[in-house]
Amino acid sequence: MHQARTRLTSFMVLSLISLVAFLPPASAAESPPAAAAAKQSLAETIDAQFGTVVDAMARVLFWEPLPAIPIPLIVLILLCGSLFFTFYHGWLNIRGFKHAIDITRGRYDNPNDPGEISHFQALTSALSATVGLGNIAGVAVAIQTGGPGAVVWMMLIGLLGMTAKFNECTLAQVYRKVHPDGTVDGGPMYYLEIGLQQKGFPFLLAKMFGLVFAIFCIGGSFGGGNMFQANQATSAIRGMVGDVAGLDWIFGSILAFLVGLVIIGGIKRIGQVTEKIIPLMCGIYVAAGLIILVMHAQQLPAAAALIIRSCISPEAAFGGFIGVLVQGIRRAVFSNEAGVGSAAIAHAAAKTDEPVREGMVAMLGPFIDTVVICTMTALVVIVSGAYNNPAAGEGVEMTRWAFADTINWFPVVLNISVFLFAYSTMISWSYYGEKAWQYIFGASRRAVIVYRMLFLGFIVLGAISSLENVISFSDLMILSMAFPNIIGGVILAPRVKALLTDYWTRYRNNEFTTYA
Amino acid sequence: MPLSASTVIVPIDFSPASAEAIAAALDVAEDPSQIHLIHVMLPLETMSPGVLLGDLTDATRTAAVTKALTELAQKHRASAAQLAVCIGTPGLEIADYAQRQQADLIIVPSHGYHGVKRLFLGSVAERVLRHAPCRVLVLRRPDAE
Repeated sequence: MHQARTRLTSFMVLSLISLVAFLPPASAAESPPAAAAAKQSLAETIDAQFGTVVDAMARVLFWEPLPAIPIPLIVLILLCGSLFFTFYHGWLNIRGFKHAIDITRGRYDNPNDPGEISHFQALTSALSATVGLGNIAGVAVAIQTGGPGAVVWMMLIGLLGMTAKFNECTLAQVYRKVHPDGTVDGGPMYYLEIGLQQKGFPFLLAKMFGLVFAIFCIGGSFGGGNMFQANQATSAIRGMVGDVAGLDWIFGSILAFLVGLVIIGGIKRIGQVTEKIIPLMCGIYVAAGLIILVMHAQQLPAAAALIIRSCISPEAAFGGFIGVLVQGIRRAVFSNEAGVGSAAIAHAAAKTDEPVREGMVAMLGPFIDTVVICTMTALVVIVSGAYNNPAAGEGVEMTRWAFADTINWFPVVLNISVFLFAYSTMISWSYYGEKAWQYIFGASRRAVIVYRMLFLGFIVLGAISSLENVISFSDLMILSMAFPNIIGGVILAPRVKALLTDYWTRYRNNEFTTYA
Repeated sequence: MPLSASTVIVPIDFSPASAEAIAAALDVAEDPSQIHLIHVMLPLETMSPGVLLGDLTDATRTAAVTKALTELAQKHRASAAQLAVCIGTPGLEIADYAQRQQADLIIVPSHGYHGVKRLFLGSVAERVLRHAPCRVLVLRRPDAE
């Protein structure tokens, strides 16, 4: 108790100091032009720094290896990886679907198995990290940049991504470390390092895979798991209260303070309530989407036809067939993180002694995230006409406009959802990033405090920047994680396959004890 | 002069080196019941799924570690030893505990971390040495550089 209070007090002091450091000078309010110039130059400096990193990374990730087809390397890896896992595991995403739901409902939950959380809780935790602005703003971006046809590719990669998720989460369970106090460490950095060594890779090379993943994961936790969320949540607030001067600074600081209460202050109650509210918010969002679709029922066939038509023969403006495919895949992967390896860190904590079982639960993630929620957003954006109405705005604003077109009070609910989704995504991603950080720097008090302070700093940074490089950075870091993860995942797939074959035989022979 | 001590503190991190440290403690302790096996846990991460959704608390962790310590003590013929579980920075907690118990010897294995992990973790052995209120016996790892 005493310790908790000390932590809280030190957090309060630290946050006051950082708030003062981050706030623009008081005189700025009196001389707006000077303040604007100063602010812009700071933002520009930061943006330029990100620009250098982004340029170098983009050159590798978006290099087009096939001479005739302009498809970036990373998109090719994601697409081929997901296809490989789906064929290799015999379309488990379809044949294992019902069993995955049974496991998630708790039929096989043995409370005495090692781990921290139940199958359902592991899925909730992983979803709280993936369901976020990617589903609300990302889908709008996909349609804006790839046209309505991008939706087909989002759904397809969502379905194929299910087996990529299965593969990585099963591996995370196989190679996790369960500590004497019951806590668990797991995720791609561990299965890459240990698994690849077992496959005969030299120690240094296997460690390199783990380290490269961990570095990108830390970057992803500052980018897509943090700055992108803070940026779009600020944009949502701006849409509600208007363009108030200094709003982004204030809102960013409040957001950082609220996240800090949980990750540094140790107030777990706030985090617990948020995590538990996420399934409900998903339900409300999907229900509202359904209501809108029912009200626009007569436009649905036309919308479906438009989606399919623009997928097969897209407008040249969207970069043709491949351009649409690339946009669809990028936005889907940014949203469901299949092949990226992040969710494997959460799924490693599930209570089970059957790694395959948790992999199957994880498979439901991309289905709920992309096939259900993203498709819902896409259909609402299309039937409402928001996608080709310049007045609708961009990103999260377009989605809000689309919902408001039918249910005029819904933006209030949407803004609350945006805030809660962003908040829970940031908390979940701070955990992913910290696990990767600990893999590199160790779990000492000093090491984790450095990470957590950086994480809070990036929240403010995300809120104040309206700049493209910061957003591209978010994208690139998340996509980069797929590099070591998919390559390593393919190499380790035979181990997963052997476990799956054994598990499936026992399942078919009714050898499992059921508990509920 | 042969090493002998009344109250002996042995920090346990459940690595193979912990077993050696227990053996060394049994050698030097005048009375096995005056050996204290202590494990220091790092503070719980509030944003971990086990805390936010599961029922992971410091109480459940302490219970799990106490069970593991009991088993370890039995396995290495130190059932008479006293067990302790603390939360905090390992080196400092061990030194504090030794102070409270008025220990006259701490036996600590050295892991020999290198690179960045060393920078952040330092070495538990180093911290114990710096803060200990009593004699410290560091068991050097055979392959340490």
